[in-house]
Amino acid sequence: MITGFRRLLNTREARKLTRDKWAIVSSCVIGIYLLIALAVMCNVITQEDCAEVIGPNNKPGFFLSESPERRFEVARTSMLKPIIRALGRAEPAQALADVRLGQLSVANLPIEQLQARVNASLDIQHELEKSENLDVDLQMLPKLEEFEQQVADLVEPLTDWERFLQNASLLLGTDAQGRSIFFRAVYSVKVALQIGVVTALVSVLIGALLGGAAGYFGGWIDHLVVWLYTTFSSIPNLVLLVVIAFAFSDSESDAKDTLLPVYIAFCATFWIGTCRVIRGETMKLKELEYVQAARTAGFGSMRVLFRHVLPNTSHLMLINFSLLLIGAIKSEVILSFLGLGVKSQPSWGIMIRDAGNNGDVMTGFFWQIGTATVFMFFLVLAFNILSDALQDAFDPKHL
Amino acid sequence: MPNTQPLLEVNNLKVGFRTDRGDVTAIEDVSFQVKAGEILGIVGESGCGKSVTSRSIMRLLPEHNSFIDSSSEILFDGKNLAQADEKTLRSIRGNRIAMIFQEPMTALNPVFTIGWQLDEALKYHTSMNRMERRNHAIEMLRSVEIPNPEQRFFEYPHQLSGGMRQRVVISLALCCGPELLIADEPTTALDVTIQAQILRLMDDLRKKNDTAVVLITHDLGVIAQVCDRVIVMYAGQIVETSDVQSLFTRPQHPYTRALLESIPQPGPKYHQTRLPTIEGMVPSLFELPSGCRFQDRCACKEDQCVAEKPLLSNEVNFRKVRCFFPINES
Repeated sequence: MITGFRRLLNTREARKLTRDKWAIVSSCVIGIYLLIALAVMCNVITQEDCAEVIGPNNKPGFFLSESPERRFEVARTSMLKPIIRALGRAEPAQALADVRLGQLSVANLPIEQLQARVNASLDIQHELEKSENLDVDLQMLPKLEEFEQQVADLVEPLTDWERFLQNASLLLGTDAQGRSIFFRAVYSVKVALQIGVVTALVSVLIGALLGGAAGYFGGWIDHLVVWLYTTFSSIPNLVLLVVIAFAFSDSESDAKDTLLPVYIAFCATFWIGTCRVIRGETMKLKELEYVQAARTAGFGSMRVLFRHVLPNTSHLMLINFSLLLIGAIKSEVILSFLGLGVKSQPSWGIMIRDAGNNGDVMTGFFWQIGTATVFMFFLVLAFNILSDALQDAFDPKHL
Repeated sequence: MPNTQPLLEVNNLKVGFRTDRGDVTAIEDVSFQVKAGEILGIVGESGCGKSVTSRSIMRLLPEHNSFIDSSSEILFDGKNLAQADEKTLRSIRGNRIAMIFQEPMTALNPVFTIGWQLDEALKYHTSMNRMERRNHAIEMLRSVEIPNPEQRFFEYPHQLSGGMRQRVVISLALCCGPELLIADEPTTALDVTIQAQILRLMDDLRKKNDTAVVLITHDLGVIAQVCDRVIVMYAGQIVETSDVQSLFTRPQHPYTRALLESIPQPGPKYHQTRLPTIEGMVPSLFELPSGCRFQDRCACKEDQCVAEKPLLSNEVNFRKVRCFFPINES
């Protein structure tokens, strides 16, 4: 096993690949993405984490600070107000326990003490409200900080670990519903890679089997396969997907909430390119002496096809796999953006659509669309560079 | 071992191809016999039907555009291969008839080790266990004089030189102990020193295992070196069959003689004369002349050659010739 791996690393192709600096870098990037996907699969980040409201909506990320006006607004309406409302209830203690401020809860203090702190906060609030515009009124900034401090004292202080988690989840800001953009973007890595790997794998498998059979046997099998792929390639991807999505949405099964419609729609069209390439290569290979020699050795046609012809097309399968993987990820994002792809899980496409729908981008909230784009950009770029390097490494004419 | 029964007997072989311009007959009226332990050479220029003959014996021609005429017989050990089904063919191919191809560079599967390929053939045709197969494979490699076979067993074809690869191809063909070996230009792609080694090897193996060999080549030198009997083909027909000795000393067909004359020879006689060549070209299979197929290029053409088709003569001193006016030199 280990010697086999060492021998693999010592082949001409592997040496050519490892000599390419960018191939190594892109492999590392892909490795990181795979690790993230693996971590998500091990429930480090769950779907609930992505759906949970963890803070004020449209909080900016990337360590940018909010405008004073908005900081005041957030502290007043989303922190102080619920507490005041709870204090005004018939049973304040019970009501206070139920108040949830994102991930925070109200400090465990006697009601009188809490009331006193609220009153102190309200005093500062009134002073701040006198100002026309806090964004311009720079003398009021110390006052604002005092107010925020007062409000923060009303809630239970976080432990260090909890604070770290909160900072991490707020690292890239929140979306229009106060959900963590960071969690959603990271979860989308898993969704994208899952769709990419499954569709690319299945498509290459179907393409290789049909292409190999068509090229090797010829005759009516070839006619059938060629007819099949010309027919399938004449159906636009999107239309097929809409049809399949409709077919599933009608049923009572759970399938409509899974990725199954996406898999089926992608696999139904993605195998065509691979099939065409493998068919051509098989037609070339079957006339070569070693395939003829395998036939003269008395091997059956299945054996010749699977053990002598198809292994010799493995470089094409590898390159097609990486190309299809990128294609599937990009198509998934586009379809989710259009509302046809992933429905029940976070996806970069959905994030980009949300950012556009709420007009966030227009008012300067770029972090949601930015994060989704950057995550996707590096993944697709790394795969592009790697498949390019693979193609170079396996091309016998390229030194 | 006196074995009078021929191992392979080909009678009236006629093979055609379906083309866009209609059906065309590539070889016709080809009959010959091969006995165990005998090397039969088939010689002729490009396109004369040598390879088609060998491939029809193996039934390797593509089914969709070629056909073997129903009157043809390819009797191997009593079985008619021309009509045999795929299952019968599979049991004979590799096991009892093996084939060596021309190009050693592409005759081995590049993605598997040599050992793997030898092992696969043995696994398919014999009931040996893993260790026996491996020992036998290494023994086969040693018998074709591959140095250090234990190490070569684990190497890939691209790690070997051309001559070494052709020897591996031969060991692959011989590993199941076939009774008949068809070698389709086995030395054409090799340089002469390697060629000599390969030919000597085939001769040794023939003597050791009593294997019959059909050697196809366009190199008369190769024929002279190893063959017992020779068939000369021209435009899809046998024009002369003979034992090697008499073919080179007393060719009977004008084509054979012209072929022999166009071999450059050292010596003062040829010092300042042009090398004789055969004028003209092989006729297209679509435009075969009505009489003798060699008439347009023949030096001793008569009216009869244009009017009538010559037939292969009856055997005289183990020789047959397809000519109205065979050359009879004393």
